[in-house]
Amino acid sequence: MIVVMQEGAAEEQIQSVIDRLIQMGFDVHRSTGSSHTVLGAVGGVPVDHRDIELLEGVREVVKISASYKLASRAFNPGGTVVKIGPPGRQLEVGGRAVVMMAGPCTVESEEQVTAIADIMNDCGIRILRGGAFKPRTSPYSFQGMGEEGLRFLRKAADRHHLLVVSEIMNHTQIPMFLDYVDILQVGARNMQNFDLLKELAKVRHPVLLKRGASATIEEWLLSAEYIMTGGNHDVMLCERGIRTFENYTRNTLDISAIPVIKKLSHLPILVDPSHGTGRRDKVPPMARAAVAAGADGLLIEVHHSPETALCDGAQSLYPTQFRELMSQLNIIAPAVQRTMV
Amino acid sequence: MSIEDWRRKIDEIDSKLVELFNERSKCAIEIGKIKHDLRLRVYDPQREREILQRIKGVNHGPLDDEGLQRLFERVIDECRRIERLEREKKD
Repeated sequence: MIVVMQEGAAEEQIQSVIDRLIQMGFDVHRSTGSSHTVLGAVGGVPVDHRDIELLEGVREVVKISASYKLASRAFNPGGTVVKIGPPGRQLEVGGRAVVMMAGPCTVESEEQVTAIADIMNDCGIRILRGGAFKPRTSPYSFQGMGEEGLRFLRKAADRHHLLVVSEIMNHTQIPMFLDYVDILQVGARNMQNFDLLKELAKVRHPVLLKRGASATIEEWLLSAEYIMTGGNHDVMLCERGIRTFENYTRNTLDISAIPVIKKLSHLPILVDPSHGTGRRDKVPPMARAAVAAGADGLLIEVHHSPETALCDGAQSLYPTQFRELMSQLNIIAPAVQRTMV
Repeated sequence: MSIEDWRRKIDEIDSKLVELFNERSKCAIEIGKIKHDLRLRVYDPQREREILQRIKGVNHGPLDDEGLQRLFERVIDECRRIERLEREKKD
């Protein structure tokens, strides 16, 4: 880090900051300027920079290294490709292909998920999404079918050899989920459920980590770091919209997060324009923007009868809309040297 | 003299500086060992001030005192680091 001392800081104040930095294990490089003295602190362990900023005579502290290590781009400059599914029919996320994960917001019945899985398969989709445990804002809203929903989802997917992604709500569900899903999805509300993240660090199963609605990119990457510190390096990030002052859309989809993550991290970055906008008519434009901006995949809600959906019908695409979107994405992807899967 | 001649002269001076910097570092290492035995701390701001004051006293230019101070701050930083490494070896 770089410590900039206040103009005219007393020599004793400067010495006391140097002393503190050395105690913290840093090697200090002092540069005395005509008005400001600048201290470069290298090495040492990560510290709370406020501890230094609050010392007398300090004007500001500039952090140089990120607080996350394993999730940072420097850890794997070439970018990480996460392999999903059993050997023989594995799908790669983070490679040249942009991976589409689509399906209903919620598994409502065996018939419903089977019908949608059939449509997804017709569209060439390889990963079926569907919620069985739903983190709903209201306790009176439909909470999901639970394990039965996971079973229906798996069964519907297996008819077409599709892979499955579904949201896990807490760490006690991990063994059950491993029986049914190929990707463990951590929802926005659970992005900082550290007990869940620590347990996910112990498994060797791909994790899709959604960004919290109010999470900064650094907080998001630190959550990924939690999973990676336990040795589970198969982490994919998913931008799903953040909370801003604008309330026309459900959330404000942060498309700029895609190039930012690409620069800061080696992990694949996906985008969920369904939650990102909350409105069906806004989903295709944002999906197109995400692919154009370099997203490694999309997570999109599709329902054969959105009007009767038990959850988030307004943001679910009609199958015809989804087909049209796929044909558009097949044109956009090659323009950014990608293909669609 | 041509540019090449001056550069040759700079190279010779740099070689001498490298030798002198290393001589100086050896002194710092020895001091580090003594400080370790006496349980004194590596960072001695009083001594660092004295060094910077003294070199300004023997400075006849063309480097100005501020420029010279910044150069020596770098030298002191590195000697402090090598003193610390020496201490860690002993600990």
